[in-house]
Amino acid sequence: MSATTETDEPIAPPRPGVLARLIREPAAAVSLALVTLIIAAAVFAPLLAPTDPYDNDLSLAMQPPGSEGLPLGADAQGRDMITRLLFGLRVSLLMGFAAVLLGGGLGALLGFLAAFYHRWLDGPIMRLVDILLSFPAILVGLAIAAIFGPGIFSVVLALSVATVPLMARIVRGSAMVVMRLDYIEAARATGMTDARLIWKHLAPNCLSAIFVFATLRFGQVILLGSALSFLGLGAQPPVPELGAMASEGRNFLFFAPHIAVVPCVLIFIVVLAFNVLGDALRDALDPRLRV
Amino acid sequence: MRKTFGAALLALAAAMPAADALAQAANPRNTLVILREIDADNYDPPRSTARGAGEVIYMMSDTLVALDFDMQTVRPLLAERWEVSPDGKTYTFHLRRDVTFCDGRPMTADDVVYSLNRFIDPATRSPVRWRAGPVKEIRARDPYTVEYELNEPFGELLFQLTLFFASIVDRNSVERLGQNFGVQGFNGTGPYCWSTWTPRQEMVLTRHPNYRWGPAGVYQNPSPQVERVVWRVTPESQTRLAALQTGQGDVTQYIPAIAVQQLQRTPNVRMSQQQNYFWDHFMGFKVDKPVVSDPAVRRAINMAVNRDAMVRATWFGTATPADSYLNPAVTGFDAEAARLVPRFDQDGARRVLDEAGWRVGPDGIRVKDGQRATFLVYGIQTQAAQQYLQSMQADLRRIGLEMRIQMWDATVGWGRLATQEFDAFVMSYPYVTATDAFSLYFNSRNRPTPNRMNWNDPETDRALTEAQTSVDPAVRAAAIARAQRIVAENNVWFPVAREQLWVAASARTEGVRAHGIYGIALYKGLDIRLTR
Repeated sequence: MSATTETDEPIAPPRPGVLARLIREPAAAVSLALVTLIIAAAVFAPLLAPTDPYDNDLSLAMQPPGSEGLPLGADAQGRDMITRLLFGLRVSLLMGFAAVLLGGGLGALLGFLAAFYHRWLDGPIMRLVDILLSFPAILVGLAIAAIFGPGIFSVVLALSVATVPLMARIVRGSAMVVMRLDYIEAARATGMTDARLIWKHLAPNCLSAIFVFATLRFGQVILLGSALSFLGLGAQPPVPELGAMASEGRNFLFFAPHIAVVPCVLIFIVVLAFNVLGDALRDALDPRLRV
Repeated sequence: MRKTFGAALLALAAAMPAADALAQAANPRNTLVILREIDADNYDPPRSTARGAGEVIYMMSDTLVALDFDMQTVRPLLAERWEVSPDGKTYTFHLRRDVTFCDGRPMTADDVVYSLNRFIDPATRSPVRWRAGPVKEIRARDPYTVEYELNEPFGELLFQLTLFFASIVDRNSVERLGQNFGVQGFNGTGPYCWSTWTPRQEMVLTRHPNYRWGPAGVYQNPSPQVERVVWRVTPESQTRLAALQTGQGDVTQYIPAIAVQQLQRTPNVRMSQQQNYFWDHFMGFKVDKPVVSDPAVRRAINMAVNRDAMVRATWFGTATPADSYLNPAVTGFDAEAARLVPRFDQDGARRVLDEAGWRVGPDGIRVKDGQRATFLVYGIQTQAAQQYLQSMQADLRRIGLEMRIQMWDATVGWGRLATQEFDAFVMSYPYVTATDAFSLYFNSRNRPTPNRMNWNDPETDRALTEAQTSVDPAVRAAAIARAQRIVAENNVWFPVAREQLWVAASARTEGVRAHGIYGIALYKGLDIRLTR
């Protein structure tokens, strides 16, 4: 299969082989299993959680892990840590997913436009991207929270803004390479509209780069989101969010360490799993690494 | 790579002796290190209302009169005695003659007149100008006599003049430094003098050598006992605790509630508590907003929350559940009004709502005439507020009320709390007397802030005016009692908790006693000594 002869069929990443290649690597297999487990836990949280995430019982406040009926203990409100973690995971993943989808989508669009209309749009778009890149994400988060008020919406917006420029650069890079290939010229010769050309030929050939970056970024975004929530900009009480839980627990670090440590460990696992999976995906999808 | 590594090693080696020296030099024999949570933006008495500013200002300057540890007795400080005219409108202060500023210049009545006039001058833009009372004129009768004339009597005046806003400062320094007074330098008559300030890190003060006019009756020593005082900012509570226990810090009042009991058991830490401490947490309701405008809802909220459990879970025994609007130890407290605050009774709360026509909807939240029983509460992000609001939220859900919480960072929070976009808010505040607290929050003239409840009741206003202006103490007491009863009957607040004041001191520190004026523990700190 050669890229230059196929004009109508985009060169999509070869689907059947990816998974097989992915799970050949033990680290990748483990991370894939973990990610699946994490997503399943978040999706089925209401079914899995032993208690109501919002109902408190102050008599159980700060019960250590291993107490009766509380394998991971209770938080400062006497709420079961397992329940809070499951629902917190949900909020954290949702925030990450929304931010990657929103920021990544917009970034990819900008990248395609910059590459496709290289002569007119590349300069302005890339300068805009440079400007966006110069703001630290936490600072953007603080500013957005100051305007809209702290909350999940603000965090998603801040994370999206922080993701746009990165995605735009990556997509522009791979799209520029694809743009120089002959089949784009050929497709153009058939009289395809620009939009169709981008959608049918340019986008699919950049998909692996987008996908790999999105997975890697997902981990970072969750970490960043947790940091923003830790600072009090994110989820508002009583909504559980991993970063916010860690923040709440840090005041009791000497007395009830599990309240802060347990969510931190979960954040660590989630971010690690997504990062390893992202790396493995890149290896599996990159044709140059194919042996 | 090897080069980088070598350079790093070198840098490390260079830094080590410095760090070592720093660790040893941290607490020499004559230097008291006070640990605190945050810095202030300036140290100009009338221009800051922050406790972080006041705690240093009290050490750098003096007020005319001082407040004793009982929080009721006003003692002489810069004024050795004073008289009040029979109509209650003129206060004559007789000043001490031995007082000097840090630069050695003697203090006279002109300095007092200048400082107090600067406090009330609209150009100074002091947010607490009202604390000086309805001033007609402040004048110097002779170099050591000041006349403070009011348009109408103001029974609170002496209490208000003990607050650091009314500190006496040196006119020359103020005029020389302008807006930078209290930022680049300071010149007061206090027991310690401004040395250096590194914002957000530390403020260094040195002993005022001439100082011997400390308030008698409040402190045993009229002069400071320590050569240098370092106010060190340590934002993380766990770090402060560690610093105190390892001897890197000597004193702090910023102790996380959960650590108080542990510190009491720690052998090298001494704890001191002030029983008469007036710093309360409350939730206020905007009485003109849907849902919380219904007195039945406000009453039900007051009944539904298990305050004892909530306060215990938030402050671990270092705050007292506030079953009244004011601390029973404060001047002007009315016990009858305290009895009007509803007791905890969840079934009763449900009945109150049922009778008022609030029916439980399909999602468990009550509804009346198409209006869901939900309200939005604003607060500044603090550990305590975060904790007790969640407890309240869970309790209110049990009776079918939905409370939505929106916490703000302190940088934007105060601005948000001045708007009308919320239905209820939580806050904590220091006060000196009942009249002080109630005039601040419940006078209709103080809408929209600090009367964020929009409480507008002519009867309350009349009672507050009488409590402030009547010459007869009995009339004043009756009037402030009336105001307390009206507010309690209408459940304008949900009183949350009364903080306790604890100060922790290292083993080498003696004479630390928690004072608590305006929430400030060390006040003038005159009796503090270091033993090694």
